[in-house]
Amino acid sequence: MENGKNNALALQNTHVKLLAFDLLSLTQFPFHSPDAATSFFRRGIPISRVEILGTVTLHHLKPERLLRFAIDDGTGCVPCVLWLNDANSPSVVRRRRHELAARFVEVVKFGAVARVRGRLSRYKGGVQVTVSDVVTERDPNAEIFHRLDCIRLARNCYNLLPSPSLRG
Amino acid sequence: MSDDSGVSVNNLCVAFHRLREYSIEACLATIIDGDDILKVSTEHLRDLSFQVGSVYQFIGELLIQPDNEVVLQARVGRNVDGIDLNLYHQSLLLLRRFQANHLNNPETI
Repeated sequence: MENGKNNALALQNTHVKLLAFDLLSLTQFPFHSPDAATSFFRRGIPISRVEILGTVTLHHLKPERLLRFAIDDGTGCVPCVLWLNDANSPSVVRRRRHELAARFVEVVKFGAVARVRGRLSRYKGGVQVTVSDVVTERDPNAEIFHRLDCIRLARNCYNLLPSPSLRG
Repeated sequence: MSDDSGVSVNNLCVAFHRLREYSIEACLATIIDGDDILKVSTEHLRDLSFQVGSVYQFIGELLIQPDNEVVLQARVGRNVDGIDLNLYHQSLLLLRRFQANHLNNPETI
């Protein structure tokens, strides 16, 4: 039982591979509080980081502010945001993060297939991914492999974890 | 929904098929998958060259013309030569089963 609890909590610190339709159906808590930090749950299991893969079908750049884009994997469209507002931050870590983000902007091209990792966040009541890492995929089978990975992990791992709320 | 030309606009569509012919003048590609044929309007696509026999992925809106001909208005397209189409079709079957199970067991709270 203790092991199950650890497994459930372990998903909070890993990038959970999800298909778009699955990600877009995560439960948010609290439901209607725009100020409070939002937590996301899949079948009662808390999730904070995700990995998605698909075609970039929207691209809206606000220079020195942010890049909004969407990842379409055939099951849905996931909104993503890449922040670009830390160029002049006094924090070395934030400036370093900005340098990385500026490189990611070059990678995210309309129509490209991208693998995105990031944190779940909320925007206008819906879920979005705050991007921490992006790479483009050149393998024409990458989308298929990702799809199969997501299904296998859901069946053999994510769906088998006991929900913390269901345990006594 | 319909626009002024009477064209029906359906949901977004993804197509993964082999190119049979391409008309530069009409910006129209004809792609095939077995016995299925789909016409793809490529007027919005740039920097994509077309080669008969190659495999392409398109994402766009499915337009149903007044004469019931279906045309995919592509917004995104790319060459995916090297894709394993058998694996692609098998993964689609698995995906549909997975999505159906997910909808039947929505223990998401």
